Amino acid sequence: MERAAKALDRADSAGLCLRAMDTAVSPPPLPPARLKTRRLRLARGGKVLVRDLSLSLASGQALVLTGPNGAGKTTLLRALAGLLRPVSGEVALEPGPAGWLGHSEGLKPGERVGEMLSFWAALSGAGSAEIEAASRAMALGHLARRPCGELSAGQKRRACLARLALSGRAVWLMDEPAAPLDAAGRERLARLVAAHRARGGIVAAATHADLGWPDVERLDLGLEAAA
Amino acid sequence: MSARALFARELRLAFAGGGGPAGPAAFNLAALALAPLAIGPDTATLAAAGPGVITFAALLASLQGAERLFGDDAGDGTLELYALSGLSLSMAALIKALAFTIAVFWPAPLLAGLGGLAYGLTLEASLVLAAGIALAAPGLVFIAAFAGALAAGLRRAGLLIALIAAPLQAPLLVGAAGAARAAMDGTGLAGPNLMLALAASLIAGVLAPLGAGAALRARLD
Repeated sequence: MERAAKALDRADSAGLCLRAMDTAVSPPPLPPARLKTRRLRLARGGKVLVRDLSLSLASGQALVLTGPNGAGKTTLLRALAGLLRPVSGEVALEPGPAGWLGHSEGLKPGERVGEMLSFWAALSGAGSAEIEAASRAMALGHLARRPCGELSAGQKRRACLARLALSGRAVWLMDEPAAPLDAAGRERLARLVAAHRARGGIVAAATHADLGWPDVERLDLGLEAAA
Repeated sequence: MSARALFARELRLAFAGGGGPAGPAAFNLAALALAPLAIGPDTATLAAAGPGVITFAALLASLQGAERLFGDDAGDGTLELYALSGLSLSMAALIKALAFTIAVFWPAPLLAGLGGLAYGLTLEASLVLAAGIALAAPGLVFIAAFAGALAAGLRRAGLLIALIAAPLQAPLLVGAAGAARAAMDGTGLAGPNLMLALAASLIAGVLAPLGAGAALRARLD
């Protein structure tokens, strides 16, 4: 039974799924989005990590944050989300709140993947067709009845990505989205992000790995700090 | 809509990962079973001590789950997701505490009633005690939740929670135990004592979630 589901899943990844995603469920475009900072200054533990950062992203744009450990990538994402108060400067994120993919998964070990997705879908008003599409896009079909605590790191990340896709938010903030993913997972991530941008969404991602996303703005916080 | 979804999820999670009511109930029962060994076999003394000991056991049991109520959310990243969910954190705290009361703390009045009978209280006093604990239970949990939110993610959170919550829970202790003692002595003050417990629960239900929301917000920053 499980094996059959897996085989089906593999068939999906061979392209069936892509077509289903593109034609059957083409989600409506998102409202106009905007992510802007003005002279943003952020500190963590008494150390200034980001100074006078002004950036502006419009619908369909993506920003990739790079920089060495401790350069302030996560701090900047938290400030963009409104979870962290800046020392000075302003953040404008519209329409808020942001969709969040944090370093910590936010999964409950005893909760099944399907239950988790249904809950977050209910919170954002997404229906079962959207849940179906999101779990298909992240190849979670055969894992729906598995408790989140029993997933591998990559599977957990895919579950989080499906949750983000169900959030219905226009601006996505992602912290190391690709870290635990295998090559196929990264491919799925890239497709998810491309689809979100095509709908008019904004994506900002912090990463060490090369995500291979086309046509992105880049910001190196290491250089920023040195300057 | 989203409040209902969160309530349903918290009920589900209480059983899926937390073992439901087993933990606090076992703690409560152990306290009830051990206290008579320390108090001694004199039935009159035991009955006189009963309301206080039983209410105190319920209070301790309410603190038992408080560490995990927000500690887990703060540790696993759920707190960020709730903060960005569109629900206010105070609302989330209120819903979580209510779900905890219903899913985890429901045996407390039952144990108090049975404990009353076992300690030699009259049937009437035992029922009043059970009613007192039922009225005080939401308040006990709200205050424990507030302390849990303040201590979320800290090491030795349990100690901090007990120190913060116990003094605030005093009016509930006084009301619930006082009602049973009044019923036992026939002073006719059982009703007012029950009202005191209810009033303290309602006040805690308004103030504790606001405090818990602010504490969780500050923790994120």
